Amino acid sequence: MTIRVLSTVGVLVLAGTGLSAQSRAVAIRGGTVLPVSGPAIPNGTVVFKDGKIVAVGANVAIPSGALIVEARGKYVIPGVVDAASHIGIEASDLNEASDPVTPGLRAIESYNPFGTFGSGKAGPLRNAEALSGGVTTMYIAPADASILGGQGAVVKTAGPTLEAVILREPAAMDMTLGTPPKSAARARNRDPYTRMAEVAMLRQALIRGQEYQRNKQQTPTMARDLGMEALGKLLRREIPARIQANAATDIRSALGLAQEFGFDLIIDGGAGAWEYRDDLAARKIPVVLGQVSHPYISNEEIPDQGDYPPVDERLPARLTAAGIKTAIATFSRAFGSLAPAGAGKWLLIDAGIAAGFGMSDADVLKAVTLVPAQILGVSNRIGSLDIGKDADVVVLDGDPLSVRTWVQRVYVNGELVFEK
Amino acid sequence: MTLQRHLLIAVAVGAPCVLDAQTEGAILIRGATIHTAAGAPLVNASILIRGGKIVAIGANLSAPAGVKIIDGTGNVVTPGMIDNHSHIGAKSTDLNDSPMVIGPQHRFLDALDLGDPDWKDAVSGGVTTVVTGPGSGENVSGMAVVIKTFGPDLVRRILLEKGGMKFAMGAKSRDRYPTTTMGVAANLRQYLIKTQEYVAAQKKWEDDGRKGNPPARDLGYESMADVLSKKTYVRAHVHAATDVMTLVRLKDEFGFDLTLHHSTEAYKVAPELAKRGISAVVLPLGPRIGVGEDAMAGPYVLWKAGVKIAMHTDAPVINQKWLRLCAALAMRYGIPEDEALKMVTRNAAEIARVSDRVGTLEVGKDADLVMFDGPWYEPRSRVELVIGDGQVIFERAKEGN
Repeated sequence: MTIRVLSTVGVLVLAGTGLSAQSRAVAIRGGTVLPVSGPAIPNGTVVFKDGKIVAVGANVAIPSGALIVEARGKYVIPGVVDAASHIGIEASDLNEASDPVTPGLRAIESYNPFGTFGSGKAGPLRNAEALSGGVTTMYIAPADASILGGQGAVVKTAGPTLEAVILREPAAMDMTLGTPPKSAARARNRDPYTRMAEVAMLRQALIRGQEYQRNKQQTPTMARDLGMEALGKLLRREIPARIQANAATDIRSALGLAQEFGFDLIIDGGAGAWEYRDDLAARKIPVVLGQVSHPYISNEEIPDQGDYPPVDERLPARLTAAGIKTAIATFSRAFGSLAPAGAGKWLLIDAGIAAGFGMSDADVLKAVTLVPAQILGVSNRIGSLDIGKDADVVVLDGDPLSVRTWVQRVYVNGELVFEK
Repeated sequence: MTLQRHLLIAVAVGAPCVLDAQTEGAILIRGATIHTAAGAPLVNASILIRGGKIVAIGANLSAPAGVKIIDGTGNVVTPGMIDNHSHIGAKSTDLNDSPMVIGPQHRFLDALDLGDPDWKDAVSGGVTTVVTGPGSGENVSGMAVVIKTFGPDLVRRILLEKGGMKFAMGAKSRDRYPTTTMGVAANLRQYLIKTQEYVAAQKKWEDDGRKGNPPARDLGYESMADVLSKKTYVRAHVHAATDVMTLVRLKDEFGFDLTLHHSTEAYKVAPELAKRGISAVVLPLGPRIGVGEDAMAGPYVLWKAGVKIAMHTDAPVINQKWLRLCAALAMRYGIPEDEALKMVTRNAAEIARVSDRVGTLEVGKDADLVMFDGPWYEPRSRVELVIGDGQVIFERAKEGN
């Protein structure tokens, strides 16, 4: 890739602005543009300015003075969206496992976007590991040792300040059903030991949440409770619930809880979602699947496979065809010293497996960009290459779903934040 | 892919059906791109297998009468893949006997369950041979076994019963000795010295004309004696470069054969390994595990330095069927395609000491092979067919997906 520098002065000005929204227009031209929201544009151009996309197409006028990036032979796609990740959270900060119900916790307060993971270095806010895989936005949440872990956030992987990387916070109330909270509880000899206890404890917490909202309305001077306030956001449908549920039993429980308490639901993991496809489709409940190769990522280094449905690589294609909004995510987290970086950077490569199992390339790309952006409630800002959206743009040296392809450049809000 | 059974002419004309012993069960795959792991890829080539072995491979093989012909046009054939390091086939509670600390007398063979679903998973990903062994919860955790992933007969499946002695570097406990890497090194050294003394006592009894009762047998020392005599070798779980060097010192001191496993930081001391011919089984790089970019490039650094390396899944940590993606990820950092393929076939077989039987597609080797519908390393490619010991053991068309 060659960058033609049209104005040395302009470049100096740009360099001086650091990571603030770029004011000089950038035009990436001549690549195969995959806007996701529409068909591929061979020999296309993407223009952005002031952090926003201003033009996308085959024959677009390039503003004078724009920095031109030649992308002949390259692919240009929207920033990848990992709809479930823990990258940027220290292993010791993943779980407040001392208590199974902690709605007052906020994942954003464990998130360290300074890139101390993997090859990243302290400095500007860049999660280098995520960016190296083209990931520009992630949903981060507490991990799955608790049945009600707390509030997740949607963050960008680069930005000038910690405040600026937050797209939506809180973005959801994060819960887990099934094996992971049971294992964590048994290791500490506390509840819940069983699925029965998991559901009963969640129902009790939600009932307390309902009572708190009612009592608070009647007696505004009542003492505040952070967790109960957060549950209010869920019960008033200001935020959805993300319930990690892989076994069909757990999906059924999640569907029942959403019905009983009237909250919006997103199924995380969803390895057994096929069994409840009709309910999920009818109630427009989206599914954030785990990795195609390893659907049920959990706290267990070696999950007990007997507790989960058999791996079915066709699931992304089948759920999508059934009319269910289906994203593919990584649920990536560090494995201590063994793998401090996490596997989030391989989201495109892992999703590529689905292309061999009945999903079109276009749908696979959509399942890691626009669909997760919609599920996360931020598709007005990100998820596709469309005029007015944030200039989160990735340039790759080949087919985005090939293992041989490298991410070459990543722009977040129009700023070049990763270059191979 | 189409499977086509050519009827014997004798059958067609109504004569008594006499199967030709020479062709019974024979299979000819033709028209495929064949990566043999023993030379350059063969384009539009054929491979003939019979009696569980490869009998011919080349450009223009004629089809013997009665042979089952498989059209491999547009497909890619590789040797059956070999995962040099995994823990499949046993319950997770049978992997580590941690209170023992040093237990070379343990044999993974004694924990194997042929009904474990992991075997089928391995086959569906084209993995036909694995080294599977005990975990890393002890300083020495026992003997691995080299075994095929298919077939009902355990004895026939085993390629090598003494498949390597598992060492694990790094302190495994904070409660009891050894709690430091120094302690682990001293513990290993002490045990190896005791093994030398045990062997010497046995030898003295022999040399003295076997007078009186033989020295008491000890299963642990007996097992470790096979390491010192190089009947088997050390498979050492190791991450840190400092622990790699501890192993190198132990090897220099006691003269055993050594392979490194996981080998996260082995790249930092690559010349020391190359100089001694120490091979390395490297990071499980599957899509579930990510490491920093420096370590990701480690396999390339080792390869470049001349260290023989194999990739592994550490299954069930990485699902074994994605062994090929581990090699594919290593390719990204500069290892050429056919070298990467060797890391899950030929090299894995050589390191496991079973390359007389498996690892390459050559005449006389076991007929274990995989046919893909595209490049073996691409995530979107599908395993179409797996042949093990000359039999079709996986057929995508019959899996219904």
